[in-house]
Amino acid sequence: MVVENLKMAIAALVANKMRSFLTMLGIIIGIGSVIAIVAIGDTVRRIVSSIYENFGATQSIIYPNFQDDSGYRLSDDFTKDDIETLKKVFGNQLAYIDTNGSASGDVKTRMGINKVTLTGADYNFIDFQSFKITSGRFFSQSDIKQQRYVAVIEDTAALKMFGTENATGRTFRQKLNGALREFLVIGIYHLDISPVQKLFMGNNQSVSAYIPSSFFYGNDESTAFSLRIFADKSFKGEKLARFNNDFIEYLAKMKNRKKEDYYIVDVGAQMSQVDQFLGGVSVAMGGIAAISLLVGGIGIMNIMLVSVTERTREIGTRKALGATTGDILTQFLIESAVISAIGGTIGIIIASAGMSIVGALLKQSVVIKPVAVLLAVGFSAVVGIFFGIYPAQKAAKRDPIECLRYE
Amino acid sequence: MDEIIILEDLVKIYDTGAIKVLGLNRINLSIKRGEFVAIMGHSGSGKSTLLNILGCLDRPTLGHYYLDGVDVADMTQDELSRVRNKKIGFVFQSFNLISRMTVLKNVEVPMIYAKLGPAKRRQKAAELLEQVGLGARINHEPNELSGGQRQRVAIARALANDPPLILADEPTGNLDSQASVEIMELFAKLHQNGSTVVVVTHEDNIAEYTHRILTFKDGVLESDRINESPTPVSDNVGLGSRKS
Repeated sequence: MVVENLKMAIAALVANKMRSFLTMLGIIIGIGSVIAIVAIGDTVRRIVSSIYENFGATQSIIYPNFQDDSGYRLSDDFTKDDIETLKKVFGNQLAYIDTNGSASGDVKTRMGINKVTLTGADYNFIDFQSFKITSGRFFSQSDIKQQRYVAVIEDTAALKMFGTENATGRTFRQKLNGALREFLVIGIYHLDISPVQKLFMGNNQSVSAYIPSSFFYGNDESTAFSLRIFADKSFKGEKLARFNNDFIEYLAKMKNRKKEDYYIVDVGAQMSQVDQFLGGVSVAMGGIAAISLLVGGIGIMNIMLVSVTERTREIGTRKALGATTGDILTQFLIESAVISAIGGTIGIIIASAGMSIVGALLKQSVVIKPVAVLLAVGFSAVVGIFFGIYPAQKAAKRDPIECLRYE
Repeated sequence: MDEIIILEDLVKIYDTGAIKVLGLNRINLSIKRGEFVAIMGHSGSGKSTLLNILGCLDRPTLGHYYLDGVDVADMTQDELSRVRNKKIGFVFQSFNLISRMTVLKNVEVPMIYAKLGPAKRRQKAAELLEQVGLGARINHEPNELSGGQRQRVAIARALANDPPLILADEPTGNLDSQASVEIMELFAKLHQNGSTVVVVTHEDNIAEYTHRILTFKDGVLESDRINESPTPVSDNVGLGSRKS
């Protein structure tokens, strides 16, 4: 019986091609926009979380936030000894630490003048970053210890400064701690980011280079009042928060400050906040898109009511030939469900294909979750059945005598 | 059970709210299995009301209607649907074939509701269409056929579930005289093969094909006469022998 009804429903839809298509269009647009918006939301979430992962999810930056009037003291600087002490105290829990130092200035090469940002990095910094060394090498422990004037630069920086990505062995001069120094390029790194990710990260005009973190210890020549730390990679959520708290507590005691004198920017916590926010936005947008699905459903109900009136005689005839109320109900219900299901399927195909094409053009892989697709299919079937019930009941309850008399 | 139809003190009152209209007033009637009967009367005579009740499309207000030995007066709508499906073959004035469906599919409809398998249905429908002389047109749609041909399809459809009763409502009302003759000869042939056929008509020449003529007036059975000399049927009517 269901198979028969399906065949009849498809025959009825084929008989009124244009009308069926226009009715489906509401569902196509509804389902399509739900899928597209949820996919955009999920893709943005992935982009943002990948940006955070580039930074390292267990990374925290500690800044001073001195409460008393005396302000900044000389003893607040983080010296080489401080760093060594913290390493010893926290052991394996503290996977990485430096003084979060950087310096930027103009570098003149044959290619012209470029603003270069030098960032301090310890030899194991590369373990926490997603960039790849494409030629040369990263810093060795002795580079750090002996404060060698060496730099690892981004491939795009190399291109701007030297006109080639293959710039290992080249040198450039930049002012550091008051004196002009010559740095030897010992390695080139590549950060793999899509244009869309770049858009989210903002457009930074300066080019990036890493130099040994030992240049940025607090001493007579330079100040260092901030720390960059990475907790053990396995730390997450509460465990990470507890570690950060312990760290600040110890730091404050060590520097003869109060715990409140420092504040900590915790990448992991920020990431989960942003992710939660984006998730909420995504659900809200999907909900708004679902309203168009409602409109599509009303379209189905409308056309089914027209169809029931048009086919009054058919209903009367079928009843005279032995169709029960349930038979007629099923027939019309299946017809509206079929409209909705076909519309939903087309909507999913169009939205997925469209998103994939846009993603390919932007070189950004698109996230289309199977759960979202299944939900959309289910929802469109529910819409078809829900909005089909009233017209189908109307058809099923009609009096066969009146239907047969209908002109 | 010799009688296919027994009506006992059958009354139908239409309640239109303000006034009550007496559609049928105490009808007592029986029709034997294998009879060929005409129901005549002018409009408003009650013949359509009687047809609706005989066809189980409507229920009597009072009295009993035994169809094939079963009282159908108090059945629910869905029970009546099943009775119509199994026991009654309808032929309508305006054919009431379903457009957008082939002739073959149309004949299959009653068998679909009888839950017959697809292969059996198709075979039976094709056989029936062959019997009414439309074997070559089973894949045509109704609007590609003449009125007479459409009514033949409707007759094939009426026979689909081998019902004990064929009910025809003005079956020649929309046909020219040539087609009318063909259709009435087809009914006569069905009767010869053992079917019970009841034809509602207001035309005397149509009623003359039958063997018993019931005339209604103002909701009452006015006369019930045996037609001694039914219109003879030519032998070239294409209907093979049917088991009934």
